[in-house]
Order: sequence, then structure tokens, then C-alpha cells
Amino acid sequence: MSTPGAAEPEGPPPTFEEALRRLDEVVARLESGEVGLEEAVALFERGQGYLAACRERLAAAQRRIEELTAESLPSAPDEPPEEAGEPPF
Amino acid sequence: MKLVGGRRVFSVEEVSARLARMFEGLRSFWVEAEIQDLRPARSQVRFTLRGEHVLDASMNGIVYERLAHKPADGTLVHAYGRIEFWRARGQLSMRVERLEPAGEGLLRAQVEELRRRLEAEGLLAASRKRTPPLLPRRVGLVTSAEGAARDDFLTNVWARLPGADVALVGVPVQGDEAPRLIARALRHLDALADVDVIVVARGGGSLEDLMAFNSEAVCRAVGASRTPVVSAVGHERDVTLCDLVADLRVSTPSAAAAAVVPSQEALETHLADAHESLVRGLLRARGRAAEALGHRSAALARALRGRGELAGDRVDRLEPRLGAALARVAARAPGELAARGASLGRAARARSEAAAGRVERAEAMLALLSPARTVARGYAIVRDAGTDRVVAAAAATAPGQELSIEMRDGRLAARAGEGER
Repeated sequence: MSTPGAAEPEGPPPTFEEALRRLDEVVARLESGEVGLEEAVALFERGQGYLAACRERLAAAQRRIEELTAESLPSAPDEPPEEAGEPPF
Repeated sequence: MKLVGGRRVFSVEEVSARLARMFEGLRSFWVEAEIQDLRPARSQVRFTLRGEHVLDASMNGIVYERLAHKPADGTLVHAYGRIEFWRARGQLSMRVERLEPAGEGLLRAQVEELRRRLEAEGLLAASRKRTPPLLPRRVGLVTSAEGAARDDFLTNVWARLPGADVALVGVPVQGDEAPRLIARALRHLDALADVDVIVVARGGGSLEDLMAFNSEAVCRAVGASRTPVVSAVGHERDVTLCDLVADLRVSTPSAAAAAVVPSQEALETHLADAHESLVRGLLRARGRAAEALGHRSAALARALRGRGELAGDRVDRLEPRLGAALARVAARAPGELAARGASLGRAARARSEAAAGRVERAEAMLALLSPARTVARGYAIVRDAGTDRVVAAAAATAPGQELSIEMRDGRLAARAGEGER
């Protein structure tokens, strides 16, 4: 677990799991029972931030599907031709 | 040949020599047949090539010993050679020069050869395997546009994460075009910035049906993908090379769904637990701080300041934040939990309500502990004016002692008089 406190980088973590990981770390630290009031408040605030980030990501998911067929896609210029090799033995 | 009474009569040797000459002109050819009655010997291996009919065959013992894939009775083979006529026995036999597995055996041999090459290049190494992200922004899916695999996957993905966003590229999953088009679909999805994981899915089938997923084109596209690839091809027993090159292999499309998206219900429960822990942790820390100061019934900030255990400015800085944090807990937690409760199943709802109840109880406890509330109701707090310590008993005062009385709208200086102590 990284040391909680001011050393933790500010700003929203880039990924959902990063936010979740930091949230779990904050919770573990807060539950360790070794934190003073000031640190507890700081941890609480940070935890709330990660929690909000996680919930935002979850809420942002919009059920959607896009369907294409491979035939409709352009072939890559370096697309290898169909295999027609010698038998391997 | 001799003439006997007008007949042309041949010796056996003449006949067999002529027959032998007839067959000498035949070219070598491939024949597909099943091996039977295999009789290995050092110099000459004899066997029968069986279709509906049978053909005797033989092969040089040294050549046979060097075969990469030795057949057994019943193996379907491709045999290359030519027909010879054995004069001494008057029999036709195929002189086999090359012998290779055919059908499934041939496919298996091809797969094995490619597997060795990919392995030698390190494409199957465990160290290359990446873990798909917990919550992908978008899920890429390569599968047959109409098939059970597509439906299985989508049903399960949306059951777990109703808001999942899927980019599907339909491909033929078998046939000559399949390897090229599957590879193209993989490259397309890999190039999309918001696709965080790609699933390749196909139901079970024979080895021949699954050959596209054993093709070099598909394996190389999977190996080159910068996006993690989950392979769900065939059933448990059918392992394809695509499975081996992929970052993760699962046996069914529904298992693929479970591998690429989280269960929203489980996640929300986890987040709710974290929220509860944060609240509990904060309240505990607050309780500990108050207890440590021996002023359980006094206003926290004043107590902290009064005892000088924390510098005044720290308390001043902390108290509004603590207040705001607790206010947020009070204002948001029950509402959030209730809102979540409505969207979850019964078990989760019961959990949420229990959590909301705990938060409410914590709030009530905080309110009870707050002397400010008591004062607001008309009670007063009496302190020693010098030490600012709470004076809880008349017996603790002396006549003439300077006191400070905290009331709803402010403080009042007072002096203790005579009383029944």
C-alpha cells in the first residue's frame, strides 16, 4: 500500500481500476485504526473522490452496439495473402 | 512364345515381364487410403492401403523409420508412389515413397508445426499475457454475425453490465476466407482507441471447422494486437492456436462475457461497502480524538483547542472540513443508498437499507453527542472561566468562582454564589 496523505498524486486517476485500487487502499488505511483525526478527514475526502470517480465511470456506460462485417472493412495494405504454403513435411 | 497347333502360347515369365513393362510406364501419384495390416520390418515395411477396395503396398524400411508421423492401423494417409508388378508372385503392389497423415491427422500435423514455430518465436509465452481491464470503455467482438456465440456473449455481457458498449465485427468463422477476414476484423478493432479488450468467439466444431483459428493469419493478428485479446473458440476440449496466442482463453462465449466486463451489482456492492467503511472510519477517528481528550460531551473543536493538543490553526482548518465531510455523509449517503437500492436485487437492497440504517444511526449518534444541539434546545453549558473546563456539578464550584455560561446565542460571564453543595 502506498503511503496515504499529501504524497498521493492529485487529480482523477486515469483508469477505473486505478481509482478502485486507490479507494481500497484508502479504506484499508482508514480501517487500520492508526490514523489521527486530521488524516482520517483527508482520507475520507480522497476516498469520496475515488468513489465518485468510480461511480461516474459506471454511470457513464451507455448500452450500445455497433455491428460491422469484416467484408465491409478496407483491407490493410500489408494484409498478407491467403496462406497457400507447402505442407509442413 | 511358341506356336502349338496354331496357338500362340506364352510362358508365365513372358506374361509377367510384359505386365511389368506395362506398369513401368505409370507415373507416381498420391492416393488417400487407410493403413491396415501394417507389418514393420527392417528392410521392407508392408501394409495394405484400404479404400472400398484394397491395394498392397510396401515402403523402404529406412525411409519408413524416418517418417515424422508414423501411421498406425486405421490412420488415414496420403501415400505417394507408383504401382509395381511383382513378377515372382504375379501381384500388383504400390511402392510408397512418401507417407503423410491425411484428414484430421494432416490438420493436426499442420497445427503442431505452426504451434512449434509460434512457440519458438515466443508468441505463446506466459510473460506476454496481459490482463484485460476491469471496466473496458468498449468491448470488441469478432464472431459470426449470426450465431449462438454472438447471442450468448451479448446476453451475458449485458446481464452483467447493462451499460456495456460493444463493437462487433461479423466474420465467417470457417472456410477459405475466414482467416484473412478474422485477422482484418482484429486489426480494425485493435485500431479503435476506445476498444479496451477484444473477444474472438466461435462455438465448438470439428478440427476442420476450427482451422481458421489455427491459421497463421489469425494467430499473427492476435499476437500483434496492442489490445488484450480473449479467445473463446470451441469448447473445453478444442484448444486452438488462437487460444494459445491470446492473452486469455475461456471455453465459452458466456465465460468470455464474464472475463471482459465486471458485474455491475458486485461492483456497486463493493463501492457501497467502501463508502460505509469511509464513514465508519471517519466517525471512529473522531470518536478516538474526542476520547483521547477526555471531553466526550464537549464540543470537539473547543475541546481540542482548549487542551492544546492540536495547534489552534490546525483545528480551525480541520473542523470545517470534518463538518463538511459529515454533512456530506448525512446529506448524500441515505439518498444514494436508497437510489441504489431501487436498482438492485432484493439481497442487495436489504444490504443497502442496512447500510443506510447504519449511516442514519451514526448520524443520530453524532447529533446526540453534539453539545451544540443540546444548547440549542435551551440547556446551557457551564465552564470555569479560567480553565474553560466544563463544570458539571455544583459541588465542583466554590463561591465567588468566575464562570462562563454558554447559551444558545452566546456566552455569559457569571460568578458562583452560595448554594447547596
